[in-house]
Amino acid sequence: MEKKEGKWKGDKDVIIMDLPGIYSLSPYTLEEVVARNYLIEERPDAILNIVDGSNLERNLYLTTQLTELGIPVVVAINMMDVVAKNGDMIQTERLAKELGCPVYSISALKGTGIQEAAQAVVAAAAKHATVPQHSFAPSVEEALSDILAKLPNNIPQELKRFYAIKCFERDEKIPIALRTAPGIEEIIANTEKELDDDSESIITNERYTYIGQIIQHCYQKKNKGGLTTSDKIDQIVTNRWLALPIFAIVMYIVYYISVTTIGTYVTDWTNDGLFGDGFYLFGNGRAAYEEANEAYTLETQKIDAFLAEATAEGIDISTAESDPIAFAAEAAQVTASVTITAEDESTQILPVTIQDYEIALQAEEPAVEDFGTWIPGIPVIVGNVLEKLQVADWLQGLILDGIIGGVGAVLGFVPQMLVLFIFLAFLEGCGYMARIAFIMDRIFRKFGLSGKSFIPMLIGTGCGVPGVMASRTIENDRDRKMTIMTTTFIPCGAKLPIIALIAGALFSGASWVAPSAYFVGIAAIIISGIILKKTKMFAGDPAPFVMELPAYHLPTIGSILRSMWERGSSFIKKAGTIILLSTIVIWFLSNFGFTENGFGMVDDLSNGLLANIGSAVAWIFAPLGWGEWQSAVAAVTGLVAKENVVGTFGVLFGFAEVAEDGMEYWATLSAFFTPAAAYSFLVFNLLCAPCSAAIGAIKREMNSAKWTWFAIGYQTLFAYLVSFCVYQIGSVISGDVGFGFGTILAILIICGGIYMMIRPEQKQKVLQAKVTA
Amino acid sequence: MGGGAYMPLAMAQRGKVETIKKINDKDEVKRFLESLGFVVGSEVMVVSELSGNMIVNIKDSRVAISKAMATRIFV
Repeated sequence: MEKKEGKWKGDKDVIIMDLPGIYSLSPYTLEEVVARNYLIEERPDAILNIVDGSNLERNLYLTTQLTELGIPVVVAINMMDVVAKNGDMIQTERLAKELGCPVYSISALKGTGIQEAAQAVVAAAAKHATVPQHSFAPSVEEALSDILAKLPNNIPQELKRFYAIKCFERDEKIPIALRTAPGIEEIIANTEKELDDDSESIITNERYTYIGQIIQHCYQKKNKGGLTTSDKIDQIVTNRWLALPIFAIVMYIVYYISVTTIGTYVTDWTNDGLFGDGFYLFGNGRAAYEEANEAYTLETQKIDAFLAEATAEGIDISTAESDPIAFAAEAAQVTASVTITAEDESTQILPVTIQDYEIALQAEEPAVEDFGTWIPGIPVIVGNVLEKLQVADWLQGLILDGIIGGVGAVLGFVPQMLVLFIFLAFLEGCGYMARIAFIMDRIFRKFGLSGKSFIPMLIGTGCGVPGVMASRTIENDRDRKMTIMTTTFIPCGAKLPIIALIAGALFSGASWVAPSAYFVGIAAIIISGIILKKTKMFAGDPAPFVMELPAYHLPTIGSILRSMWERGSSFIKKAGTIILLSTIVIWFLSNFGFTENGFGMVDDLSNGLLANIGSAVAWIFAPLGWGEWQSAVAAVTGLVAKENVVGTFGVLFGFAEVAEDGMEYWATLSAFFTPAAAYSFLVFNLLCAPCSAAIGAIKREMNSAKWTWFAIGYQTLFAYLVSFCVYQIGSVISGDVGFGFGTILAILIICGGIYMMIRPEQKQKVLQAKVTA
Repeated sequence: MGGGAYMPLAMAQRGKVETIKKINDKDEVKRFLESLGFVVGSEVMVVSELSGNMIVNIKDSRVAISKAMATRIFV
């Protein structure tokens, strides 16, 4: 929860502090704590209190508290257009008189009145503090003046009333010396007895009574009662029958567009174009190039097939290049064949004779530049520059493979994330997001999370970093921590290549693998939610769900783009810092090692330091079915960015460049893993500690090193245990391994997990013990 | 205050304007509810109800509350 500082455009000496939106100065939510501490401790020169004109009464509650702070206050009434549209009227001059501070009407949407209000604040800062005009019921005022008399003299005059009221409310955040001054408790208790309510509620009620009086004078309402448009929309959208279907349709549209259509298109462009070989400007020429390239590929296939056939017939092909005429004479009778598959899956067999072979030899590889405006990708451009500058090989490797390769892979997800963020910003801006939390609350409550946990998890399907950051809207500390810990269980965009790899290599692309990964993620969240809620750390009553729902309205394009950029840029910043650093470290560890010539750069990754580390820790993963050092190394590089797992296997199996799903080495991998081991590897990578960027986000949101380590430790341990069970039990079912010690241990772990889920809550246990004793 | 004649907000009819008579809740939550406008004497109307959770209209704003809270606010 943050406040934002900025300078006023009109006068650079004026510093503006934007405090989070709050309902009151009583510290219930994190926002309130932040705002209140700032106002009391930093004591700004003036306060601009922006209130929502469409629900003035509730908003003035905070205003009455602000005027007691002894700081000049200016009230700006926003949403005056909505008020006018409803046919209502607010008399600002009258209101100013009643409140004892200047009142302006503004429209943040249209940008009107803001300058005037800002100038008024600057002017007010030079004047004396706002004096609260309101008084409470006589008995309350009497108690307050009694308390006031007992306050020490060192409290500034203008703050006396504030502290008197806080003392009366028994506010725990004010200095203890004030609260416990002799006689004060007696005064409070007497008033409470007289009014038959607790002191805090007395003050609250007094405030609302006072506001009620002001409103009567200054606010003319046209339609009292009755349903507003927002209410009517809510009656449909949160209807008990329609809520979930409408929700499912909205989510499907958002997901379909941002992940499968526009998202994939832009992601491919960034990964293969911007951070790959390059791209055609506006796509012109791509089709022509692809056609030419296809034709060229066919010719090379013909050559390969002919040479292979010639070898099979006992002809020495080593002369094919050095003495083509002799070779042609010798292979004159050879006829090979190539099979081509058309788009409609029909196949055609082409014979390849010596003539075809010779024609094929003439074919030239098409150059990308010949077919349109070709813009080379960043690695190509940088590579050329480095080549020209004659930069040392190791530095070229670091920059191209390490930095650009690593950071580029991560940045490749940015466009897709931005598309997703636009949708989320729209859902947030129009007011539907708050309804989602309401709709999902009943379901999430069942496993110890809040309805607000859904939004982080939804964003987490795109990327865990903004997902974890979205948990900020959850006020309750326990709910928020639990959401942060479980959000990254959901497969994010970067984990999809791992799923594709395992599905393709081991399960011949079976369609159940990908959905099962999401199922594993959701199950992990539910199980963790239930287990964690029963630990002492998270025990206690669930936080009650209270949330204001904004009125439905169309958000402006500017606000959507701003919100998109805010989320996106924080991810990009991460890519520039944490990810950059960890890519360099991993690159160094992979490419440097001890050889017979001493320490230095190694050609083969299997001689690198990372391979050494991998071999040293591989035994840890043996019980999960993948104790080879390559798998351990792949999992470790996944900590930089999850999709690295695919690339690392490629490099370790001797493929310099592999497709996103590692298609080239599927055969190698299927010999390397048993199916049970492969699925265990997949599950571990889905659930274990997230990538370094997400860990960074967890640290920032937890704001505590201890909790960050706990979260990562929990995730990794959970992943280890689940993978262990998957492998041990999966192997027995598939018949790879007999029933043995491992199986028994796996069953015991599952039983332990079930016990953790069904055992009574820790706190209740204590209570029951007390009852029986 | 006796509670006999009051009913919890959870049982209130949709679309009917009621007046809050009493709030039974822990201090911290009660305080937050109060700052949102849930005080004795306020008019409140249930807009929508979804498996016990409710959206209510209070002081010209819409607030979503859980079933647990709706049973502690009496009208």
